[in-house]
This record gives sequence, structure tokens and C-alpha cells, in this order.
Amino acid sequence: MVKKKRGFQEVAAAAEPVTVEENISLNNLRANLDEIKTYDGVIGYILRNSTSATIDLKDPTKLIDYAIISSSALDASEELSKLFDLGAVKDIIVEGKGVKVLSLIIGENKISIFLEKDADCEKILKKLH
Amino acid sequence: MDNEVYTFALKNALNEIRNVCPDITNTFMFRQDGEIIVGDENTSQKTMVHVVNAFDGIFEKADAIGGVECITIEGSNGKVNVSWLNDLYFVTVTSRKADMKYVNTVTRVLIPTVLRLLEKICPTPLKSKSPLTKTKHQPKIPMDEELEKPELMEEPVEETVMEEPKETLAAETKHEPLLPEPPVNQFIVENLGGLLVPSDTVRIDTEILSQWEELYEGRKIEEVEIGTFYGKTMRCKVKTIKDSKYEEKGIIQIPEKIQLALEIKKGELVRAKPIVE
Repeated sequence: MVKKKRGFQEVAAAAEPVTVEENISLNNLRANLDEIKTYDGVIGYILRNSTSATIDLKDPTKLIDYAIISSSALDASEELSKLFDLGAVKDIIVEGKGVKVLSLIIGENKISIFLEKDADCEKILKKLH
Repeated sequence: MDNEVYTFALKNALNEIRNVCPDITNTFMFRQDGEIIVGDENTSQKTMVHVVNAFDGIFEKADAIGGVECITIEGSNGKVNVSWLNDLYFVTVTSRKADMKYVNTVTRVLIPTVLRLLEKICPTPLKSKSPLTKTKHQPKIPMDEELEKPELMEEPVEETVMEEPKETLAAETKHEPLLPEPPVNQFIVENLGGLLVPSDTVRIDTEILSQWEELYEGRKIEEVEIGTFYGKTMRCKVKTIKDSKYEEKGIIQIPEKIQLALEIKKGELVRAKPIVE
């Protein structure tokens, strides 16, 4: 089983090495996010890049609202970074009365993690960086 | 006058905060509906409008997270912070080396104190002036013209009701229903060109026109008065924006001829209000 997997990766690596690297980092990111989701106070996450999106939320009824907040926060950070010369954006935190949203960009991947108000952002940032 | 005092006091407070904390590069305040209250002398109106517009999507969906209390954007060279203080959003932009504990101590003590003080001295400006100022995220900036005509903007209908006997008012309203004060919205100028484009017509968001028409009980708004910050005004026809990329961005498309007449150009701010006859 392991051999087969390796074989597949090697073939793909020979043809498109960059894609495989990207896939590995994306898989690592997904694994990290799945682990983060088990942390206290984490409600869910949205991970998207130019080709795919992964959404894992405890309450799917809020999916659209959360997705808009996520993309708006990331777009706003890009605009304000240009406007005020903030440099590379490390993270964006939007705090509501009940929920807070931690958004960040890792490579091509845009991530938003939804947390309860008192959840620890630092632990998540350490895990992701 | 109240508006002037209010704005002056707040502007000074913001400038002083920057003096005390030189690592703060920009500060300004805006209401939940997107109306800009005041900024420090280092922050242009265009910048403030840009920032408020950038947060548009977040504020529109804020209910999903229980309303926005704070937004922080951390970059490698600096940080933008938006905090909810005394029913206003307070924006600070700081450099990388800023001591955030010190910045927060100063801003979170000084600003609420000044706001509370101003609420006691002149409470009127804290309240919206007309129903349309509550329109979500149409950045509004106090303008000189508005300050010069406080009697137009600062006397809500309710005050008239209190001064006059109810019977008189009821009798008057039967014959001449009161039209709401024309709402004044701020827009960023965008060029409008093309072969078939009429030179006497400007274009604004469908949403704004609908709100105006709703305010005037379905009357069709066909004309607007455009005013510049330098006091030039012009009456022109109005239609809705056709190009979706300019929608919901607080933009007004103006043909070159009108831009020349008003001595404005792309990117500048103008105010516009509906003409209802």
C-alpha cells in the first residue's frame, strides 16, 4: 500500500514537481487545520486557494455569512496593506461579540478559522507558521 | 455650530494622540453606518473613505458573529486596528515598532473620555440627522456647506412637532405633506465616457437611487445636485450605474463636461443629493 503511494508520488513528481510540492503542503495544511479544529473553542475553518476550497464548520447554516466575512477580511487586508504600506500581512483578526475570525494567507492558501470569543489565537498561529 | 465644535474637539484629540504616540500614523472615526466623523490632520478624506469601503463586506455580515467589536490587520511594517468605542469605530494605523500597550492605553482612555465629554456638551451630532444617513456604508464626511447651514440639517421634524400644537401640525400635514430633508451622500468621482453617453447625466448606484425613491414614497429621482468641497454646485440628470465593477463602491460616474464645469477630476470626493419637485 505504501509502495503504491510512493510510486504514484514519484511519477507525478517527475512530471510536475511543483504541483506535488503544493499538494504536500496543502495536505499538511489540511492536517494542521483538522488538528486545530479539535482545539478548545474552535468552531471551524475555511481553506481556499485558486483551485479548491475546504469548509469545515460546526454550524453549516452560517456558511455563506462566514465565507463572506472570510473573503472580505482577506480582501480588506490586501487593500489596507497597499494603502498604509503595511507590508506582508501576517494575520487578520475580526472580533465579534460572540465569535472571532482569524484569517491568514499561507502561500497560495487563504485560511479563516472561526473561534469562540475567548479561544486562543496564539496557539493556532504557532501551529500554522 | 454643535457639529463644528464636536468635529474640532475630536480632530484635536486625534492630533494630540498622534503627538503623544508618534508611532500612530493615522487615526479616524466612523459610525456603524459608514459615516465618517473625523480624522486627524494626517489622514485624507479619500483614505478614510477607502478604509470604510474596504470593511464593507465584513460589516454587512457582522450579525453572523454578533456585531464587529474589533478588527486587527497585522502586517510586517505596521498594523491597522479598528475598535468599537462609544458607538463609534475608531481606526488607528501604527508602525511596526509601536508599543501597542501604550497605544491602547492612550486611545482607550482618551477617546472615550473626549466622547463622553462631548456627548454631555453637545449631544446632537452623535445622532443621525436623517433616515438616509443610516444607509449601510455610504461613507459620509462632514462638509463645510453642511456646517454652514445647521438649520437645514440639525432641526429634525420632531423638534417642530414639539414646538407647535398637535392640532396645527395635523391640519398642516393634511394639506401639505412634509417631504423629508434631501439626504446628502458622498461619492468618489469616476470618469464616464463613450459615444452614446449624454454629457448632462451622471450615474450612481441603483441602491442609492432606490433608497432615495423609497424615502420620497416612490417618486422617481431624475435629477441630483452635485456639490464639490470648493462650493461649486450643479444640477444634472441621474441614472443608475451600468458597469457592475463600479457598483456599491460609493462611486459617481460623471461625464467630462460636468467634471470640467465643477472643476473636479477622477478620485475626488463630491456630495450629491436628490432633487424632488
